[in-house]
Amino acid sequence: MDEQELKNMVKNILTEMTNQEKNTESQSKDSESITNEDSDQVLDDITKIDLRKQFLVPHPHDREGYLKMKSFTPARLGMWRSGTRYKTASVLRFRADHAAAQDAVFSDVDPKLPKSMGFIMTQTTCQTKDEYITRPDRGRKFTDEMVSKIRSHTQKHPKIQMIVGDGLSSAAIEANVREIIPAIKQGLKVYGLDFDESNVIFVKYCRVGAEDHIGEITDADVVCLLVGERPGLVTAKSMSAYIAYRPTRGMPEARRTVVSNIHDGGLPAVEAGAYIAELLDKMLRLKKSGIDLKTVDNETK
Amino acid sequence: MENNTILSVGIDLGTSTTQLVLSRLTIKNFASAFSVPRINISKKEVIYKSDIIFTPLLNQQTIDAAVIKKFVTQQYEKAGINKTAIQMGAVIITGETARKDNANAVTEALSGYAGDFVVATAGPDLESIIAGKGAGTNITSKDKHQLAVNLDIGGGTSNLVVFDGLDVIDTACFDIGGRLIKVEKKTGKINYIAPKIEKLITELKLDISYGTTASPQLLAPIIQILVQVLENSVGIGTKSPYYDMLVANHGLHLNPNIPLVTFSGGVADCLNENLPTDIFKYGDIGLLLGYALRNSQIYRDKQVATSLETIRATVVGAGSHTTDVSGSTISFTQGILPLRNLPILKMARQDEQGDTAELAEQITKKIKWYQVENELHNVVLAFNGLKNPKFSDIQRYAEGITIGAKTLIEKQEPLIIIVHEDMAKALGHSLYAQLPPKYPFVCIDSVKVENGDYIDLGEPVADNSVLPVIVKTLIFG
Repeated sequence: MDEQELKNMVKNILTEMTNQEKNTESQSKDSESITNEDSDQVLDDITKIDLRKQFLVPHPHDREGYLKMKSFTPARLGMWRSGTRYKTASVLRFRADHAAAQDAVFSDVDPKLPKSMGFIMTQTTCQTKDEYITRPDRGRKFTDEMVSKIRSHTQKHPKIQMIVGDGLSSAAIEANVREIIPAIKQGLKVYGLDFDESNVIFVKYCRVGAEDHIGEITDADVVCLLVGERPGLVTAKSMSAYIAYRPTRGMPEARRTVVSNIHDGGLPAVEAGAYIAELLDKMLRLKKSGIDLKTVDNETK
Repeated sequence: MENNTILSVGIDLGTSTTQLVLSRLTIKNFASAFSVPRINISKKEVIYKSDIIFTPLLNQQTIDAAVIKKFVTQQYEKAGINKTAIQMGAVIITGETARKDNANAVTEALSGYAGDFVVATAGPDLESIIAGKGAGTNITSKDKHQLAVNLDIGGGTSNLVVFDGLDVIDTACFDIGGRLIKVEKKTGKINYIAPKIEKLITELKLDISYGTTASPQLLAPIIQILVQVLENSVGIGTKSPYYDMLVANHGLHLNPNIPLVTFSGGVADCLNENLPTDIFKYGDIGLLLGYALRNSQIYRDKQVATSLETIRATVVGAGSHTTDVSGSTISFTQGILPLRNLPILKMARQDEQGDTAELAEQITKKIKWYQVENELHNVVLAFNGLKNPKFSDIQRYAEGITIGAKTLIEKQEPLIIIVHEDMAKALGHSLYAQLPPKYPFVCIDSVKVENGDYIDLGEPVADNSVLPVIVKTLIFG
């Protein structure tokens, strides 16, 4: 039986492969007719499967119980095995998720997005993605030319300086920025605060420390950087907000307040925005951020 | 975020006994110091258990409110608690007591008297749920990954609740209890027979009436029927012809196989394998019923698990397990809490998908349902919400609400919004922008409610970040 299964599987895989080859061959000849003819032969998108519901153990003692356990974690539990290896479906999914994570790092934010939102376009001293990955220090500072661009295009000494940076996931920015910016703005209104989209700085090749340099340039009271986080296998679209009261280059990391895990499976962008608005108001009132803010928080209780 | 506590009281006025417990609920932020707070109840401790007294009655139809008030005062003194320190809690009036003439008046008087908190005058469904949680049946079900049913057999009623893990999936209530027949201890003569038992006696043509000397043999046919109906109630055996008669509100709606059973209520303390010598020690049929249950099919067909509480299950449930906390990113205006006894008006998922105008129209239409004789009472507008809403969705909800709830806003009723998904803070901000300046509102999330529920909202705890919430499920199924 096992042998039969194996034969079938090999056969299936070969058929799929040859089909794919056929597809690409004929696609180059006539792409239009192909999409019509072979459309139903396209493989299902393996990344569309909800991992929390995918359960491959063939004869579980307690299926319901296992599924319940799985519903609490995105971890790849109950994936079963083939001999001593993962099953093909699990391996392919793993590689697909890994590829998505890599893509999120190595692709750029579509420049149309920050432009359409009226942001000021800037770039750190990094010139390429490779340089950005290998030289974190260069992702934290700007050239003199860029410094004067920032200076001339931004308001001097704003209460709140918003920054959007690609960081390690462009996908995170593309997925969340359009939703979070209006949510922060709306939340700030409750506290009588505001910022202007045309005063938001977009930073390409951005590390968290870039906000410190910008803080010095604009002399802002509070600087809030929305940045793409290093992607993992669960999501490639996780964004964080790093917020600091009057940041300076070389300051201790403990002075940053972080709101992390902003993505569709974590904290929804709009809800994060509402929470960030409250934090910004608090920092302006208490003139503190990071650990210092926490300490004041605890003392007032 | 510092730890924080809520002092909660539970008072149970049952068919036969009245008791009180004080519980301390500890609230803790489970998120790390730098993330968005995730606040939950981390510990539930019963810090004081009162004496158990027989529920004082002026006569068979009237509860003696004065004696109960005195009891509560005494217990607070004994516990060394000032009633103003009590933040949440529930008075629950259960079993036959709930059908007394002045039941409502008593709970209402007591609620104000017992502390500045919230009262649940429970229906049988809520009572079942509270007792099951007090008995720890939900924990049993969760630990064993199997369905579990609790039978809370009190003086007048048996309340059933079925848990699938921590979730309630069904409830039922029967007029079966240990004090449906009372026996005078000295003479052994029957001095009370509950109405449904009288009917049973007539139908069975038994020679039992007030003044008859009670004996196990004489009462056996009645006990046998009560046990058979309880077996039926959890899906065992052929249906008794008296099953329907003994249903108080309804039996279990579903008919799944329930492998685990727990018992609570006074009769749970009488589940003896051998009949005790002094069978009418408590002046009722509790011991007879308990003995018969212990030897019933339930013990043979099901796995009977130990309960955390027996006679105190309901009161512990009322004190410790009725209060929950809202989500941690919420928004509300100062000075309008606490709010109590607000009916829930839940929008259908379909209504929520419409555009602003459609949503507003549905809200307006449904608010009218709560207009009694042209008098409009405030309601809680409840929504399912969206898992990962777009900002435009938030705007649409907020606009729909402000337009749809126009009648409430004109009456200056505080606007209370509950969303199931995590979106209340953003929605609250949006409402703030659209409502008239300084308009009072509360917008919370992560609370699951259904139409027919009532809700109490306490004053904020844990540095204004969460609200204690009691959801009172009055209708089930």
